[in-house]
Amino acid sequence: MTQNGPVVVKQLPESGGKQRRKEFLAEVSQFARQSYRPQLIVDLPAKKIGPDTLDLLLSCVVQVEKSEGCVSVAGASPEAAVILELTQLTSVVNVFPTVSEAVGVDESYSINPLAQGDSPSVAA
Amino acid sequence: MELGALVVTQGQNVAEQTGSSAWPVLGRTVLDQWVERVQTLGVGTLSVVDREVSASTRIRTMVDWAKGGVEQILLILLGSYAEVDFADLIRFHHQGQNQVTRVFDSLGPLGVSLLDRHTILKDPERSELAPTRHSSRYDFLGYSVRLSSPGAYRKLVEDALAGRCGIQPNGLEAGKNVWIHPTAHVDPSVRLEGSCYIGPYTRLNPGVVIGSGSSVEHNCDIDIGTSLERSSLLPDTYLAPGLHVRNSVVNGTRLENLDRNVAVDLGPLGLASRRKPLARYSARTVALGKEIHEPCVAIPIKRRNADQTTLPN
Repeated sequence: MTQNGPVVVKQLPESGGKQRRKEFLAEVSQFARQSYRPQLIVDLPAKKIGPDTLDLLLSCVVQVEKSEGCVSVAGASPEAAVILELTQLTSVVNVFPTVSEAVGVDESYSINPLAQGDSPSVAA
Repeated sequence: MELGALVVTQGQNVAEQTGSSAWPVLGRTVLDQWVERVQTLGVGTLSVVDREVSASTRIRTMVDWAKGGVEQILLILLGSYAEVDFADLIRFHHQGQNQVTRVFDSLGPLGVSLLDRHTILKDPERSELAPTRHSSRYDFLGYSVRLSSPGAYRKLVEDALAGRCGIQPNGLEAGKNVWIHPTAHVDPSVRLEGSCYIGPYTRLNPGVVIGSGSSVEHNCDIDIGTSLERSSLLPDTYLAPGLHVRNSVVNGTRLENLDRNVAVDLGPLGLASRRKPLARYSARTVALGKEIHEPCVAIPIKRRNADQTTLPN
């Protein structure tokens, strides 16, 4: 773990439309503003990712990088991982198979990703 | 001695999913490669039929040929690319006075058989479907690849680019193992890194990078800044700007990634699309179901049923 800032795990909204994505981005922006070198771990539960997901992910990167933080993606399916690589998002986000690996702790350590709609908070 | 050849292509459904003899390899399909190889023998009759055409129709074609005086029929069930020396196969068949000779490589049968006229007339169904009783085995030790997956297709492309097999790219050699068809448009800023192939009527826009071991078949359009690394683009494919395609085969909107062994539809993401095929160009030069009665005749493709064969003018 090279980041010294807080680590937050958030699940990317699968549904809920534009409003939900807007809320999600607002939460990320707030977290990024209040932190120095934050690490945002985005949990990708969906097997497939759509264009909205890519846009949202990129917006998250923009917000988090303002605070010199970084974004990781966890739980990406092989299909999603291919899309992330294809679109070269892997050059700005780290991709991990699981949240535990993204956080950089042992599997036995309990990680509780925030549910959708929850406010972001420091998880580690 | 009159020789006929019946080439049975893979069914369309199989072909779409697994890679296909209809996919071009550096500008020419595997089907074309087989047909050209057969034509060098000076065959009197050549017919190409789809596997989805019923077996009875194919058998009837062979029986008609046998009744018409064709002494031997070379039956090729497409599913592989193999550089079989047909002249040697025929010699082997004669010397052994075989009724049926089947070609094997180290992995098993290659789907190539040489059938005697008498066998076809005597027991036509057995000759195609279960000819083991009287068949002899011809062991082929040369280059062969089974086209059973996109990975196998990629192997064939890389071997062809590296000169490890006999496939000649349909283009001009612009550098060492760099082949570009004269009708391709390649922006001056495009980087071609190592062995690669750019097919007819394909457009490479500014900043595109084509990595070693990559091929772009006809009528493709790669948008600004996109790079290919050990990948193949099949005909009529558009790729959006700024992508990095690695170890994959892209066919229209379908991307098959060989590292992760997954297929992804890029259409909904707007990252790729199927271009309108060019009416003036086809990689295939042989008409399905059409008989060629002269050696080395290439006729424009026109899909027909096997039983509608007519003589070309």
